[in-house]
Amino acid sequence: MANLVIENVKKRYGQTEILKGINISIEAGEFLILVGPSGCGKSTLMNSIAGLEDVSEGRILIDNNDVTYSSPKDRDIAMVFQSYALYPNMTVAQNISFGLEMRKVPKDEREAEVQRVADMLQIGHLLKRKPAQLSGGQRQRVAMGRALARRPKMYLFDEPLSNLDAKLRVEMRTEIKKLHQKLGTTIVYVTHDQIEAMTLADRIAVMKDGEVQQLGTPQEIYDNPTNLFVAGFMGSPAMNFVPAKVVEQNGAFALELQASKPTVVPFPDQESLKPYLGKEILLGLRPEMITEPQPHKEGAEFVVTADIDVEVTEPMGADTMVLTRISEAEVNCRCNPVYPTKAGETIAMMLDTSKAVAFDKDTGERIDR
Amino acid sequence: MSNVAKRQTSGLDKVLRVALYVCLLAMAAVYLAPFIVMLLTSLKDVEEIRSGTLLSLPGSIDFSAWSKAWSGACTGSQCEGMAPYFMNSFKIVIPAVAISTLLGAINGYVISHWKFRGSDFFFAALLVGCFIPFQVILLPMARTLGWLGIANTTTGLVLVHVVYGVAFTTLFFRNFYQSIPGELIKAARLDGAGFFTIFYRIILPVSTPIIVVTVIWQFTQIWNDFLFGVAFSGFDTQPVTVALNNLVNTSFGGKEYNVDMAAAIIAALPTLLVYVLAGKYFVRGLTAGAVKG
Amino acid sequence: MNKNAANAGSGATQAGRPARLSLADWMPKIVMAPTVVAAVVCIYGYMIWTAVLSFTNSRMLPSYKFVGLEQYERLFMNDRWIVALTNLGVFGGLFILICLFLGVMLAIFLDQKIRAEGAIRTIYLYPMAISFIVTGTAWKWLLNPTNGIEKMMIELGFEDFRFNWLSDPDMVVYCLVIAAVWQASGFVMALFLAGLRGVDGEMIKAAQLDGAGIITTYRRIILPSLKPVFFSALVILSHIAIKSFDLVAALTNGGPGYSSDLPANFMYAHAFTRSQIGLGAASAMVMLGCVLAILIPYLYSELRGERHE
Repeated sequence: MANLVIENVKKRYGQTEILKGINISIEAGEFLILVGPSGCGKSTLMNSIAGLEDVSEGRILIDNNDVTYSSPKDRDIAMVFQSYALYPNMTVAQNISFGLEMRKVPKDEREAEVQRVADMLQIGHLLKRKPAQLSGGQRQRVAMGRALARRPKMYLFDEPLSNLDAKLRVEMRTEIKKLHQKLGTTIVYVTHDQIEAMTLADRIAVMKDGEVQQLGTPQEIYDNPTNLFVAGFMGSPAMNFVPAKVVEQNGAFALELQASKPTVVPFPDQESLKPYLGKEILLGLRPEMITEPQPHKEGAEFVVTADIDVEVTEPMGADTMVLTRISEAEVNCRCNPVYPTKAGETIAMMLDTSKAVAFDKDTGERIDR
Repeated sequence: MSNVAKRQTSGLDKVLRVALYVCLLAMAAVYLAPFIVMLLTSLKDVEEIRSGTLLSLPGSIDFSAWSKAWSGACTGSQCEGMAPYFMNSFKIVIPAVAISTLLGAINGYVISHWKFRGSDFFFAALLVGCFIPFQVILLPMARTLGWLGIANTTTGLVLVHVVYGVAFTTLFFRNFYQSIPGELIKAARLDGAGFFTIFYRIILPVSTPIIVVTVIWQFTQIWNDFLFGVAFSGFDTQPVTVALNNLVNTSFGGKEYNVDMAAAIIAALPTLLVYVLAGKYFVRGLTAGAVKG
Repeated sequence: MNKNAANAGSGATQAGRPARLSLADWMPKIVMAPTVVAAVVCIYGYMIWTAVLSFTNSRMLPSYKFVGLEQYERLFMNDRWIVALTNLGVFGGLFILICLFLGVMLAIFLDQKIRAEGAIRTIYLYPMAISFIVTGTAWKWLLNPTNGIEKMMIELGFEDFRFNWLSDPDMVVYCLVIAAVWQASGFVMALFLAGLRGVDGEMIKAAQLDGAGIITTYRRIILPSLKPVFFSALVILSHIAIKSFDLVAALTNGGPGYSSDLPANFMYAHAFTRSQIGLGAASAMVMLGCVLAILIPYLYSELRGERHE
């Protein structure tokens, strides 16, 4: 177990800057997820932590040791790769013990360790097989086994689930979470899948264009995104962004939307709207905050009922997603499937703005709180 | 791909299909004919050759031309047949193939997985080496071999073949190793393996197909070489191709076509054998790099 | 670890250059070094050396008395060189065209789910495994004006059949074409067959659903998608043509007279047997120019294509 400190790390290839000064620090035992669209630098950052790529500037500390210029094998790190990177010519057992062999661990200890790891991951029956004879999920387990065998200070996972089918991905996700709870080791995990990020992480670093946009717990990131990018990236379906005009109504600032008819909704952080009076902002509203009218919420402080025009409905079983248009923007609403919704009709919906957020239209930065 | 020719039902289609087979088989006959003529001629005696035609069968199978070609025919001033030169070729080919393949493997490994500043540029520069007409290096190479004291020796020829073969072997291995995921090397580095350990333990064990392709390619190239052989070999280090050419162009007395043909088949035999036994890999070498994806 | 920690500070200040300089980091460069040296000296160094020789009056031994472009002037005043260049044009052009035509045709024919395809393919390609010297020897006999194909045809009843190209200075270059096509057309077939097998099957299905017949499908859809293969085949064939030396040596030895010489034979003869090193070097440089004129655009497009992938 080790803490990880990344200080002002920059990485340049010629003129292009891939990492533009990354600062991240996590405690020992934390599960950190690096998430972002492809090309955001998350994999480069991961490789820099592993020592597979040199950084151009800055420091990386693992367990309070500066490892910025140590070679990968001296960092005591194990990594699980997207392609699993199992050695094709070796059996599963040899794959798992290769790292130990390189570290000159005696044979009997190696065998014991392979057995321990195989038991933990339930791959004992696969030990004599070659990677080519394994299914995707089995390869995934072996790749994790190889990482576990050395009992390193830290684990790196580079999009480990992206080559699995949807069902297996969910299973393995749970498996990884259990493993983390059991081992309590520091994990850095790269993914572009925001559901993985939400479900696994103790802390998430949302990256874009070589910069950390926001570092926080999953809930912080979900509820309090610092800008439009983070808000749009995390959550599925994504947060709705509705252009809204700031108006004054009954002595309070409120937002005017165009649903089926013009509608005015209240907003919690009054102060922040003051400079925008008469101008347009973007109101961020998660789909679950636009629902069928719910009696228990009737009359609550930030709840407004309005008519909307249904464009498309997508029954998902547990919920039905209703697609509509508010102030010209496409908006997803999450409804109870028993609520009658039909494309082309106008129905009543309940807008709850108690957790709504507001963004500057031009900069995309958060303006409330 | 072959689904273009899936539905062949109508009568016209059948006629076309027969025509197709006739055409293909006729072409096969054309390609085979020279070899058959060589074989038939080598089994005839001189009289039969004079009286018969190319495709007339020998009256009796006569291997005397073969034994003369192997051990008695004159190649220039010597009359020891092809045998010593056949051995010379092996003495050149075996070390040259081994060294150039090994170098190619290591170079390919570096160029695809241990890139350094300038390695890609160097690879491009090396590629050009695959294509230059060797006439452009003949004179300087002859001088160099003289200085090194290995002019007209087998060692000299091995050196030449290695130097100009490495470009191809590097290309072959590089293209093959390019398809090995870089993550494999990263994983091994994190596991604590170094440059050579990764090469021996991870890369070489999966390289068998490309080693076979490269060895066959190099074997065929070097065995069939004539230019370097004629330019850089001495009387007693000539490879088989040079000896064959000398034998055919030596005219003491009457022309013995049967001996010429037997000698030609002897010179062609090793590469033909390799082709028949490992044709798949031979073709793969030929098309390597030329057809992508 | 401690050493690294100590170095880290200074390493970071030196514009972030890593401070670790172990043997392991140098290994890739060290193992590449022999090849780099060999390539730099034996390819590029020798090229320059030959270029230098071509500007001197070297005859039997290299001399370094520079005479400017005199050797090139002599070269292009030399009838034998002009014959060799003309032959290269005729031989190269015909060789490439016929090989491409035969190769494409055979590849398409073989792609029709042919029984025994493997055996037929093997037959088409075996000449490629043989040395040009053997090919030359065999065809020298086949094309023998008195005992070869001519005699066979006469025996078959074609009394007036004449086939004496090998001894006819105007026709001898076509003998080279015949032998070279026999040797290399199977290779072009293999290239195209591999290309055809790589064509996306769904694209062909789409074309057939669009109502394209088999000929249209090949002409409009499949062959155009094989443009890179055409390109590669063209480069490889022209390269074979320009380097052709052994075939001439074995089949005609340049004769009758020097009517079937190719530049490669001219170069060898002058540099090694006629003690005209300067002239030989100049002819080698012209050959290099020809190859580069074909190669540079090709490599340029190849490397550019790779970067886009």
